[in-house]
Amino acid sequence: MTAFKRLDKGGRIDRSKTIAFTYDGARLFGHGGDTLASALLANGKTLVGRSFKYHRPRGFLSAGIEEPNGLFTMGEGARQEPNIPGTMLPLAEGLSAKSQNAWPSPSFDLMAVNGLAGPLFGAGFYYKTFIGPFKKSWMFYEPFIRRAAGLGKASETLDTARHDAQYGFFDCVVVGAGPAGLAAALVAGRAGAKVLLAEQDSELGGSLLSESSATLERWRMDAVSELQSLANVTTLVRATAQGLYDGSQITIAEHKSNGMLFHVIRAKTIIIAAGATERPLVFANNDRPGIMLASAVKTYLNRFALVPKSRAVVATNNDSAYETAFGLAEAGVAVTVAELRPSPTGDMLAQAAALGIAIFPNTGIADTAGDKQLRQVKLAGRHSVTIDCDVLAVSGGWSPNVHLTSHCGIKAKYDAKIAAFVPGGFAESHFGAGACLGHFGLLAAVRDGESAALAALARRGFTKKPKPVELPSVREDRPYHIGTGPRLSDIAKPAKAFIDFQHDVTAKDIMIAHEEGFHSVEHMKRYTTLGMATDQGKTSNVNAIAIMADLRGIDAGTAGTTTFRPPYSPLTIGALAGRSVGKHFRPVRRSPLHDWHANNGATFIEAGLWLRAWYYAWAGSTPEDAYIKEMELVRKGVGLADVSTLGKIDVQGPDAAEFLNRVYVNGFAKLPVGKARYGVMLNDDGVVLDDGTTSRISDTQFYLTTTTAQAGEVMSWLEYLLQCHWPELKVHVASLTDEFGGMAVSGPKSREALQLALPGIDVSNEALPYMGVKDVPFGGTTLRLMRLSFSGELAYEVHCPANFAISLWEHILTAAEPLDIKPYGLEALASLRIEKGHVAGLELDHRNTLDDLGLGKMAAKEKPFIGKELRLREKYQAPERWSLMGLELLEPEKKLRGGSILFAASDEIKGHGRGYITSVTWSTELDKFIALGLYQGGLKHEGEEIIAAFPLKDEQVRLKLVSPHFIDRQGVRLHA
Amino acid sequence: MPEVTLAARSPLATVSAYAAPGISIFEDGNFTLTQVAGFGRGFEKPLAEAVGKLPLKVGIANSTDAFTVMRIAPQQFWCMGDHASAGLPSECLVTPLSSSRCRIKIEGEKARILLSRCAAVDFDERSFKPGHFVMTGIHHTPVLIHCIEAHAFHLYAMRTFALGVWEWLVDAAGGLNHE
Repeated sequence: MTAFKRLDKGGRIDRSKTIAFTYDGARLFGHGGDTLASALLANGKTLVGRSFKYHRPRGFLSAGIEEPNGLFTMGEGARQEPNIPGTMLPLAEGLSAKSQNAWPSPSFDLMAVNGLAGPLFGAGFYYKTFIGPFKKSWMFYEPFIRRAAGLGKASETLDTARHDAQYGFFDCVVVGAGPAGLAAALVAGRAGAKVLLAEQDSELGGSLLSESSATLERWRMDAVSELQSLANVTTLVRATAQGLYDGSQITIAEHKSNGMLFHVIRAKTIIIAAGATERPLVFANNDRPGIMLASAVKTYLNRFALVPKSRAVVATNNDSAYETAFGLAEAGVAVTVAELRPSPTGDMLAQAAALGIAIFPNTGIADTAGDKQLRQVKLAGRHSVTIDCDVLAVSGGWSPNVHLTSHCGIKAKYDAKIAAFVPGGFAESHFGAGACLGHFGLLAAVRDGESAALAALARRGFTKKPKPVELPSVREDRPYHIGTGPRLSDIAKPAKAFIDFQHDVTAKDIMIAHEEGFHSVEHMKRYTTLGMATDQGKTSNVNAIAIMADLRGIDAGTAGTTTFRPPYSPLTIGALAGRSVGKHFRPVRRSPLHDWHANNGATFIEAGLWLRAWYYAWAGSTPEDAYIKEMELVRKGVGLADVSTLGKIDVQGPDAAEFLNRVYVNGFAKLPVGKARYGVMLNDDGVVLDDGTTSRISDTQFYLTTTTAQAGEVMSWLEYLLQCHWPELKVHVASLTDEFGGMAVSGPKSREALQLALPGIDVSNEALPYMGVKDVPFGGTTLRLMRLSFSGELAYEVHCPANFAISLWEHILTAAEPLDIKPYGLEALASLRIEKGHVAGLELDHRNTLDDLGLGKMAAKEKPFIGKELRLREKYQAPERWSLMGLELLEPEKKLRGGSILFAASDEIKGHGRGYITSVTWSTELDKFIALGLYQGGLKHEGEEIIAAFPLKDEQVRLKLVSPHFIDRQGVRLHA
Repeated sequence: MPEVTLAARSPLATVSAYAAPGISIFEDGNFTLTQVAGFGRGFEKPLAEAVGKLPLKVGIANSTDAFTVMRIAPQQFWCMGDHASAGLPSECLVTPLSSSRCRIKIEGEKARILLSRCAAVDFDERSFKPGHFVMTGIHHTPVLIHCIEAHAFHLYAMRTFALGVWEWLVDAAGGLNHE
């Protein structure tokens, strides 16, 4: 049984082009120019899915983006995408569509049994049905509800579509390429403005594509042709304006052959010509397949050459549906009009009579009949007759598409003359035109478009007067006249009179919401879930508001609307993510020595954005094995580590010393040239921000290093201080993190290693004492040698321009090979510093004070520095603050874990404890696990036995609180 | 031990030039980049004598046979050219940055579209002309893009992010050729 038949001629389809596609596994055929929806209708597929809750048979309601019923899962496997409206999908060879929400098929759906339980699924049924009888009932029901809910299913396979983003800048963006949009783009384009015209349909023309008039088609083609000839005009089709944001930014999602292109556009002016959406009528069983919006029936007729097989009923409360009635009658369909008003306006009665159309005034629809497709319509009112028909075309009036202005935070306002909401205004440099303003005539739209464009040009200061737009030679617009909106009293059987087709919200649900006190449109929406499906209530919103207003005894304007938010139509997460997936998910930062590490057995670990060499294959195949060997290498011989990731900042200017003196807690004003000093800086709250060593290169130049993690923040902090607090200081800072590679040569044999690698350069204790610095020419560049140690051993850092880092690294390894020098990685580097008791990122967590970290004595008493006063706050000086401690494991058979919570031996193991472990390592020197941690009261408890609990694994171990400096407390090795 | 000469190595040493109809991307290395800063207007006159006329505002690059100079902040310049730091006046604070950036050249009729897929900048020919530069971000990292000809650009990426930026550009270019 089919409702529609394809005409032999007419429409915009290309009958010479046959396109094969599959629907639920069946091979079907359509034509070029078809949408999936029109092709399915042409193939007799009127029933294309089942409804959300009740699994009622559903067919296409519309021919556009507002479609609530005809949603499909497209593609297979990785390209599978659910909830695609068939009305918006151009038919393409090989296209594969599957129906949704039905099993095994829409025509025989076992889940239709839900319909029997319909009374259980009314408004708020979640809250009422699944809350009891027990406290945890919801937890029991939830998985079942979630499994039953939802529309299509997303693929769980990695999406292979290629989505991307593109940024654009235009003088004028026109949204919508109907008559208003075309006119606006023509005027702006003729004036020389850089114009973007975006249309969600696959062709430019909007409502003109649904017209049968040759005159209008000529006008459309002329306009399109001219626009495409203008170099300053860009036109996009299948491109939907999704969001409008502050700063006149508009996003447009364009369907490309292999994915979505997401345009992010800054527009100096925006003309919204987004048109209007027709509303259905509300009556019992208004959801059967074959009941469609009148405008959709007109589109299927004029654009896709599809007509109802023999008889159609048109039900309307306004004039616009008569064009559908006339078109159908001219195509040979027997048409009956159920007119809710006393009579149509103007000349339509005469025209209807000439075409043999029967009009029943003051008549609505009482009910419909049919199983899986509409079969009969029962008229209401004094003409209570039943009519057999294939299609029922309904029109409850038109709702201007106010979404984009709503995105800008502008509330829509109610216009009683058209019984709909219109934009409450426009943001600066935004304009409206055509049906989205509630101006429903074709010529009005063209005139609006022209006016809006002229206003936009004037706003942008364009002085060139463009040639006016020629009006199409058609009769003047009929005045738009509409009767009342839906009232509950008009609906004979409200139980299955649908408002929101996609979420199965009925007029009765609105009534229930009202009875239960959910009167506000915002409450009604959430209680009934109206307007919350993928169509976002495009066809249901106004009808629901009208009914609620009726129930409350107020007008719809007083009831108001909910707020529309982006996106205008559903977008996949993939379209938003664009290319930021897989290896492009986030940027990766690589050391200048990265390639060497990769080629020489390093295993990498992510550290922030950095990829760092974690450990090397020479030392073992697991980190646990490798880092211990690498630690031993440094403690007993010499190792080479990549420290290029440290933040490095050039501080220059006559006031550089004064600047650093204010930034660091300790003094830098008198640091001699050629010397480095460890420094700690606080933020303005008195908490430790970062630490590092800073070297004085000349009287006016310092080389500041930061921790890897804080490099960016410290750089920003210094810039901020110079620009906002101390603009009088003559200092410039520049990041050198990328400019210099750095390597640590560490271990008792490090001096020998450098002597081998850098012959002729004196690195003796006298020439380069602990914390000494010097720049030396070597190998065609300049090296910066610094006698620094993070490991606690005799050690040096060698920094050089990053271009030469690999060459220098290889040279050191080769030259010092007789000493058995080898590389060591991040795990060993971090473990060595724990043994030495150096704090690092895990301890510098923006919550600890100088005193917490045992660094209070560093703070200068005389000079001012950032955070000096606030660090002395009472709470920051409290003796029971959590302070840095060393921890030794007392139970060697057990494991010590970072993050463990610390308790006194007598404490109940419960709550947040008295501190926690920040860093753990195996100590090669002490032959046991050791750790750094923060413990209440700190060193006052040195020597005490405590408990470390790790609740996630239900583990507890005994520890001893000790000094955080596990090795070489006198610094003998450092100064060797 | 024989005298050692350290060899320079680019972070893009492992990649090959990309070429497709309308677009080519390759590393255009071997440049000297020096950041020069100072205070007040005092240092600009002698600097101009050393490197040529200084641009008056950020976003414009002045090029001579020897130097390209960009004002990157009110009192900071990037000077590109051989031995740029040599002979600079003593009032200048000089920071060598040649290793810190990787220079990628993008050219072809699709170059502007490619860039508009990567950065939120107006790359229209009427807005971004030869001699213009912009400091922006690509793939969340800072870059400087210099228009050197109508359809040719130098992109200065941070060295440590350079490979990721390269891969991002090439990936975007690949997409252009599939549309």
